[in-house]
Amino acid sequence: MPEGRYVGAPIKRREDARLLTGESRFVDDIRIAGTKSVAFRRSDHAHARIVSINTDAAKQSPGVVGVFTAADIEGDARPIIASSRMANYQPTPMQILAKDKVRFVGEAVVAVVAENRYLAEDAAELVEIDYEPLAPVTDAEAAARPDSPLLHDGFASNVLVEREFKRGDVVEALWRPPVKVKARFRVHRKTPLALESRVCLAEFQAAKSHMTLYTSSQVPGIIKDALVKALDIPGSHFRVVAPDVGGGFGGKTSLYPEEALVCILARKIRGAVKWCSDRSEDLLATSQAFDEIVDAEMSVDEAGRILGVTAEVIGDVGAYSIYPWTAGIEPVQVISFLPGPYRIEHYHGRVRGVATCKPPMGPYRGVGRPVATFVMERLIDMAARKLGLDALQMRLTNIVQPHEFPYKTASGMRWDKAGFVECLKDAAEAIEYAALRETQAKAHAEGRMLGIGIATFAELTGIGSRLSASPGMPINTGTETAHLSMDATGGVTARFGVTCYGQGLETALAQVVADEMGMLIEDVRIIQGDTDAVGHGVGAFASRGAVMGAGAAMLACEALKEKLVKAASALLNAPEDEISVGQGALTTRDGESALTYSELAERYYSHMGAVPLEIKNALGELSVSRMYDPEWGTTSCATHIAVVEVEREACKIKVLQYVVSDDCGQMINPLIVDGQLHGGIAQGIGAALFEELAYDDDGQHLSASLVDYVVPSASDVPRMAMRHPELEKPENLGGIRGIGENGTIGAVAAIANAVSDALAPLGIEVTEVPTTPERLFRMLDASKKEMSNI
Amino acid sequence: MKPAPFDYAAPAHLDEALAILARTENAKVIAGGQSLMPMLNFRLVRPDLLVDISRIAALRGITGRGRGMSISAMTSHHAVHTSPLVKEHFPIISEAMGHVAHLAIRNRGTIGGSISHADPAAEWPMLACLLDAKIHLAGPTGTRTLDAQAFFHGAMTTALAPDEVLTKVDLPALPRHTRHAFDEVALRTGDYAIVAAGVLLSVGGSPLTGGKRILDARIALTGVGEMPIRMRDAEALLKGQKAIDDQLIERVACLVRDGIQPSSDLRASADFRRELSFSLTKRLVKSAWEQRSQS
Ligand SMILES: Cc1cc2nc3c(=O)[nH]c(=O)nc-3n(C[C@H](O)[C@H](O)[C@H](O)COP(=O)(O)OP(=O)(O)OC[C@H]3O[C@@H](n4cnc5c(N)ncnc54)[C@H](O)[C@@H]3O)c2cc1C
Repeated sequence: MPEGRYVGAPIKRREDARLLTGESRFVDDIRIAGTKSVAFRRSDHAHARIVSINTDAAKQSPGVVGVFTAADIEGDARPIIASSRMANYQPTPMQILAKDKVRFVGEAVVAVVAENRYLAEDAAELVEIDYEPLAPVTDAEAAARPDSPLLHDGFASNVLVEREFKRGDVVEALWRPPVKVKARFRVHRKTPLALESRVCLAEFQAAKSHMTLYTSSQVPGIIKDALVKALDIPGSHFRVVAPDVGGGFGGKTSLYPEEALVCILARKIRGAVKWCSDRSEDLLATSQAFDEIVDAEMSVDEAGRILGVTAEVIGDVGAYSIYPWTAGIEPVQVISFLPGPYRIEHYHGRVRGVATCKPPMGPYRGVGRPVATFVMERLIDMAARKLGLDALQMRLTNIVQPHEFPYKTASGMRWDKAGFVECLKDAAEAIEYAALRETQAKAHAEGRMLGIGIATFAELTGIGSRLSASPGMPINTGTETAHLSMDATGGVTARFGVTCYGQGLETALAQVVADEMGMLIEDVRIIQGDTDAVGHGVGAFASRGAVMGAGAAMLACEALKEKLVKAASALLNAPEDEISVGQGALTTRDGESALTYSELAERYYSHMGAVPLEIKNALGELSVSRMYDPEWGTTSCATHIAVVEVEREACKIKVLQYVVSDDCGQMINPLIVDGQLHGGIAQGIGAALFEELAYDDDGQHLSASLVDYVVPSASDVPRMAMRHPELEKPENLGGIRGIGENGTIGAVAAIANAVSDALAPLGIEVTEVPTTPERLFRMLDASKKEMSNI
Repeated sequence: MKPAPFDYAAPAHLDEALAILARTENAKVIAGGQSLMPMLNFRLVRPDLLVDISRIAALRGITGRGRGMSISAMTSHHAVHTSPLVKEHFPIISEAMGHVAHLAIRNRGTIGGSISHADPAAEWPMLACLLDAKIHLAGPTGTRTLDAQAFFHGAMTTALAPDEVLTKVDLPALPRHTRHAFDEVALRTGDYAIVAAGVLLSVGGSPLTGGKRILDARIALTGVGEMPIRMRDAEALLKGQKAIDDQLIERVACLVRDGIQPSSDLRASADFRRELSFSLTKRLVKSAWEQRSQS
């Protein structure tokens, strides 16, 4: 039996051995005899009416099994619609294959099924599509105007969602305050870019009327529930499996047309059909992120106290409202989270999510919060600079203090007690803030452009059923299930609805179960990513995996132990309240008799007559299932501090130092927590400095390969120091706060603030990210010209 | 992203390769495949036959010729990068190779492939122009040799005929006491350059001939136009100079900036490229001049 506890220990991830040695099994590794391959003919128009499609030549191409257009699958699926309770919301039914009209470059129009992908691509080339081009709708701001061409016929406008949050009297607060700062902030469009692009494989066993969909997804439960309805296959005969999944970052949390399509085609051809996205398709047709314009203004008094904030957000939500999250998922959360961890009395946030000719906007690691934090933290630095206040001091002045919890934010969210102030101070201490400012002054004197950027934020994680992971959406994401069973040999298997896709959750959950059951971690098996595992599963996203999964595990372990006590009571002939569970065994109070788990299981299941039959009939299998609903959510928070240097000649930004101090409550596994931060920060650096999906005015995608879509490489990511101060734990089960998104949320703002700080002597404030060399060049060039005009 | 169908041949001898190329319509040579494979997968090129020249032993190796050398077409970037001979006589090449992609790609990518491919931002074409390389081509009717400047015709277009194979690149010896500097600006380590520049300054002369001076100056850039460019005016300004000061460097850099016609793309605008060319030239001329002369 283990010494001490697994929870809190830096245990190496159990999944790594298979992931690193090639033993893992991704969807593309699954071999089903006779599997056919799908290639799509995708739209090369941003907006066009489909006049005609000729598939004759494609059908004659070698190895082709079938060629399918929207007309060929008409009636094979009921409409899939992301509905919402939000007022003024306009839903858009999913187009599995484009019918009548295409609305973005890369939208699937024709599916070719062939013996293999090569042959399918050969045939897809032969499809002839006659388009009547329509006016492209590419600029969200223009698309929101009443005179814009409409993307969806019959809609009132291209604005799919609209929302507003108000507190206090912003007009009054912004009226003649001592200091006002305002800017138009722009965060460009990004893609999640999981290492494993999306893959799905459907197998229809006609004789059994059974469908199995293997898909690289974070949410097999959501996919199943939606497709059962859409395809009219009984839930008992529809299994969705997400085997090893190579990253998600939110890009695999939605239901995609391709997933529905492979099922439809598998049923049509009565066999197995696979679609394996290539990188271009991933960049063209996976849900995208950010893409917001935020006009924001902040007023502060002379002491640096924030009086009021306004934010007007335009979010480019792409062509369709994504299932199940809706088009509100990203932009609405920008205004929800914008007030951040600060005391802001007067606030007005308004958002419009506008449809354009681009792939749908979906959840991406951080959802809304990276942009909200970027805007808020930039405003604070701009105000501090204007007032001549220190950036750290300005934050300490405004951040919610320990005695103010629970704090209701200006947008109506509730922060339960978390280490806002503590993390801010701890990060500053870790990076030796005061000394660093001196170093910076010296560097500036030498003409070096060194900058320090702080970003502090609060985040809501592990959300229960009283809130919605996306405002107004059609499904419940507030519960999660754990099923725990002991087999006849004493082996314990835990089944979960939360999913593992590289983030280490499998290890974390095993740690929790091993501790609760008093077992060796090696003896605990975790099954997840399979709708056969639990009756209702949602998945992992929104920093909920550990909070919800561990909570459900703890409840299930408790229940299983109760059951074991009952069985032991019969076997040991002792009253239940005299039996204790621990260290993998059940022991009577006097210590006289004991049963290990395997002894207990063997006797209970296999020894005839060992347990009276009425007890056995009542108790049943040694298995339990529990659902956990944390009702609300739990606050996590962090402060990031980045130090950057601007290399003037190359117009490049080098991140020299990076520190994070976070409050994620009880760490289940510090290695995993740090890993989550490392990866998230790397992605945040990508958003701050490199990554941008570029579309031209005609809606053509200019960055459909990794030559043009630039992600940070290893040498662009600095060493980072992670700190987790010892703080009071939240009151939820296990005292766990989510950590999965804290990296991306803080990094964009910290880097942008650091760059602005470096450029402060030139009067430059970063308002647009990514700050690519080209953008930096233009800013430096403009400031040079401005200087020479003076 | 799968290539259109093609046939494949991997001859062991150059003659055989040339014969296959001569008799096949729409055939394409494949060397390291590092540029060709992506183009095949995007179906940007659709040859009927790929002629893999990687098994032709005669196309590999680096041969010294006094202080000059000859590099055969199939020699990998990595072999060049790590060659002591290259480092001794052409340290600028060793330095530049460190900027070509990443190790895995350098291990397969070849000098012949890079020069034949003629990417407007690649290092090898620029080095070939800077070093006045002679490019050897073999075709069905024999061989021919071209000056690097005559070989490149534009972005990804060269003097190579479809039935020819680039066999080797000769690098004439540099004058003694040649100083060098090379650098580039790229978005990330290993990316194609936004702008890359190389500078060679040969210093010589004796008190009898009026003291030391710059006898030969060469400046080449890549990423600033359709193909690598030698900055002859700027070179002329440096030639004969006994010393270099900031003013002269500024004039040289201005000539470079104003002598190029860069275009704009996703990574960098023409203005940014001009500015980079200006600042890179300034820094590299200075650094070459201040370098202790190599023998
Ligand atoms: C991610 C990545 C980054 C890269 N970064 C850089 C970089 O920073 N700088 C850089 O210079 N390059 C870069 N490259 C390209 C790399 O250097 C290639 O190796 C090189 O451009 C082509 O060489 P190859 O041997 O692979 O040629 P191949 O890809 O095999 O062929 C390229 C072309 O040349 C023709 N060809 C090849 N050899 C011959 C020959 N002997 N005779 C006639 N025709 C021939 C082929 O027909 C083809 O048209 C990069 C490549 C990748 C994948």
